[in-house]
Amino acid sequence: MPSRSDDRQMVEFHWNGHPLLGRLGEPIAVALRRQGIGVIARSRKLHRPLGQSGSYIAGVLARVDGRPNVRLDLEPVGQGMRVEAQNVWPSARFDLLKAAQLLPAKAIYGGFEHADWTPQGGRGYHLWERLMAHLAGMSPPPLPSLPSEIRPGRRVQYDTVVVGGGPAGRHAANEAAAHGRKVAVVTRGHICGRYAAACGVEQEAIDDRVAVFTGMELFGSYRQGALLVGAPHRYDQGAVAFDTQEIVLATGRRSIPPLVPGSHVPGVMEAQAALVMAHEHGVAPGTAVAVVGSGAQAAIATRLTAFGANIVHVGDVADLTRINGRVHVNSIDVGATVICDAVVHAGPWHRDPNLIFQTQSDGLLQLVSTGASGNLRVAGAAEEADEDVVVPANLSDDVLICPCMDVTAGELLMHIDAGETDPEVLKRLTSCGMGPCQGFPCWDSMIAVLASRTGQHPAEFARPSHRAPRRAITVAQAAGLHDVVGPDR
Amino acid sequence: MNARPVNVSLPKKASVVIVGGGIQGLCCAFYLTTFGLRDVVVLDAGYWQGGASGRNGTLIRPGFGGPEWTELFKLSCDEWSQLSRKLGENVMFTKRGYSMIAERAETAAMLGRAAGVHRDLGVHSYFVPQADLPHHLPAINHRRVAATLHLPDGGVAPHHAAMKGLRAACERNGVQVFYRTAVTAFERTGGRASAVYAGEHRIDAGSVVIAGGGHNLKLADLAGIRLDGYSMRIEAMALEPIRPLIKPALALIDSLAYFHQTSRGEVVGGTEVPERPRMSLSTDLPVMAATAKVYLEMFPQLAEVRVLRHWAGMIHVSSDFGPLLGEHPDLKDLWVSAGWSYGFAGAPGAGLLLAKAIATGEVDRRMQPFAVDRFDRGKPVAEAGIVLAKN
Ligand SMILES: Cc1cc2nc3c(=O)[nH]c(=O)nc-3n(C[C@H](O)[C@H](O)[C@H](O)COP(=O)(O)OP(=O)(O)OC[C@H]3O[C@@H](n4cnc5c(N)ncnc54)[C@H](O)[C@@H]3O)c2cc1C
Repeated sequence: MPSRSDDRQMVEFHWNGHPLLGRLGEPIAVALRRQGIGVIARSRKLHRPLGQSGSYIAGVLARVDGRPNVRLDLEPVGQGMRVEAQNVWPSARFDLLKAAQLLPAKAIYGGFEHADWTPQGGRGYHLWERLMAHLAGMSPPPLPSLPSEIRPGRRVQYDTVVVGGGPAGRHAANEAAAHGRKVAVVTRGHICGRYAAACGVEQEAIDDRVAVFTGMELFGSYRQGALLVGAPHRYDQGAVAFDTQEIVLATGRRSIPPLVPGSHVPGVMEAQAALVMAHEHGVAPGTAVAVVGSGAQAAIATRLTAFGANIVHVGDVADLTRINGRVHVNSIDVGATVICDAVVHAGPWHRDPNLIFQTQSDGLLQLVSTGASGNLRVAGAAEEADEDVVVPANLSDDVLICPCMDVTAGELLMHIDAGETDPEVLKRLTSCGMGPCQGFPCWDSMIAVLASRTGQHPAEFARPSHRAPRRAITVAQAAGLHDVVGPDR
Repeated sequence: MNARPVNVSLPKKASVVIVGGGIQGLCCAFYLTTFGLRDVVVLDAGYWQGGASGRNGTLIRPGFGGPEWTELFKLSCDEWSQLSRKLGENVMFTKRGYSMIAERAETAAMLGRAAGVHRDLGVHSYFVPQADLPHHLPAINHRRVAATLHLPDGGVAPHHAAMKGLRAACERNGVQVFYRTAVTAFERTGGRASAVYAGEHRIDAGSVVIAGGGHNLKLADLAGIRLDGYSMRIEAMALEPIRPLIKPALALIDSLAYFHQTSRGEVVGGTEVPERPRMSLSTDLPVMAATAKVYLEMFPQLAEVRVLRHWAGMIHVSSDFGPLLGEHPDLKDLWVSAGWSYGFAGAPGAGLLLAKAIATGEVDRRMQPFAVDRFDRGKPVAEAGIVLAKN
């Protein structure tokens, strides 16, 4: 397998107390995977095993050196790092909470928080609340010895801010720069255009006049898009507020996980995440890989093969009926059973709607899209219409729609069949989309299920409100913006 | 969009029509049924929990700085502690305590006066000695705290649980609740409010209650009455969950901040920044930054915790920040429960008193100071123990 990182220095780190070796600077999730460790986290209520999926952030959150909820797909390995699984008690090696897996999914409909079996007031409720807070909190607070200083932010002015450093973003940025505009490109990757590079796409060089912000999540669009805010992934750097006249969203599209049982199990990966990992770190998604999709599966499979992956199945996502395996994928049902240890899904493709929603929505009773584009332009793949999510005719109750909050199709269908068809209300009744991903991709799945059950089109439903900052910014970084952006009087 | 067309099953007549199905409207409806009324109708233009009642900090306390607020909120807090039993639904009210924190000497003195008011009115409160602070609030930056007045009977109730319980109990008691059903006009006949319209549909009403939260002024316009105050948005945010760090609910009087850690592990709360009051559900950056700054200064351990979600809701505040509660002086049979800045905490108490007044005609002593016409009479209610930016 080609790997550009083989010559990197090896460092020792600890996973749940076990010493492991990793390559200095590679993401911890990659280092774990090299060691055959796929289960990184456990879902909040039923303790379902979760791993790096490229779809659900909850699967890559762990405690690193006393800091909770660190994203292992971004955080680089360092010498002596102590990485620990969260949501375990009393310890990762002997985790009694795993017993929660034995509960039937129905037991937690409505969330353990508002389940009917919660004691009503009194001492019983106090004890229950303590237990609940302990379980829901997943991990102890940060160690008091960690840095607690403010991370001062900056305010900068650009005529055009381009979000996404892929081919469409580069092109838009270069074009604007050529017209004499002052341009910034913001990308969450440590370099621009990682997916395109993994696909082997030639990318134009970014004009020298364009300012490039890497390793930064542009999470917020305020004042109808006149004020954008990005936060660096690194804890020790400050956030940046951009005043701008124009935003170009070139954020591409992501594949929505298939609505079949097992789609949350470690070993299932979104195509972009799988390709980038294979390309940058020489780590294939598995030893026997199935690729399903809405059209791009063959191309993605070919590309994965170029990185040394052994492809055992390529097919339409509509033909996939089940992903088997309790703690890791071991086979899939596609008419016949195919033995595999990884499933890569390549479509249906949807764009992440969060920033568009933030920029364009308004309302006094509910935030809904005004349809006005204002100063926002969408470029590249993000411009293409969302593809239909395949909802199987006999959708299984067991399909996890929101793995972070353990919301199953069964729970949603229970409410839908009782007549509740308002996505905002479904969100409140189930907590679907209230975890670290904040509604993408889970609201896309939720609305697909809702539309299919009610015989309507997904576009007929108003999405629940997409909000900033989706855990992109720390308290110290947000505090650092206080003296930078004053109230809009 | 999925805004439902005016529902065909809307009734033609009701003893009381409540405009607004937030916590004020639902509490009023529920207590009306406890006075024996059955044909109560609640109409709401938005979705269930879409108003401020589904967007607030869920902090509940019995005591404030002055006697008027304290008497009303003590009643409400007592109601909260019995609400699950009364509704037969779990509202998950938890008396985890509520601490009012002063960072400045003058504020500490104000809390001292508040403690006196509490003592006189039977509200349990006490000063946490500085030496006990590490036990009471282990993670707080002690140097910033001048005084802590603790109210052990205060606490929080998750709004989704409260709203769910209230709606279920209302419906069980025969109240008809309609969401996505906007009231578009009021009918006045012979100096009284006689009916409301939802589009073309007329509902004949014995009494009408305006409980429209941030939309109260618009509703007052529709009804042709005057209401004091203005509408504004307030914003709050939630941090990513962590295991328990902060036990009681907190109001930082000087930092204009209120927050608590939910039983989901998220620290939820907000601050006030002096912005131009506006009607909007969208958020702006300064509140997030200001709230984060308060967290960082008061709870340094939160520095590297991430902000999960930041949202806004709308409220209608009166000139003295107190509720406007009672029958409108200019229009008979039109009642209001408006002007609420602490309308989550105050809902069961206000609902009880308003329902009693509507059902029996008896205006309780505790709601009299908050009468709608108090400004015309030159009798605003002064209150120092609240966390609200004076715009
Ligand atoms: C961020 C935030 C934090 C807060 N924190 C706290 C706190 O910690 N403690 C506390 O006690 N209070 C808090 N509050 C205040 C509290 O939420 C409100 O005072 C309370 O919810 C008001 O309840 P309500 O029922 O009057 O209004 P709402 O819940 O706003 O309900 C009004 C309803 O009227 C409906 N409506 C509007 N127009 C029409 C129409 N034409 N026809 C029919 N219906 C209509 C709306 O759809 C809405 O559902 C907070 C508020 C916010 C926004």
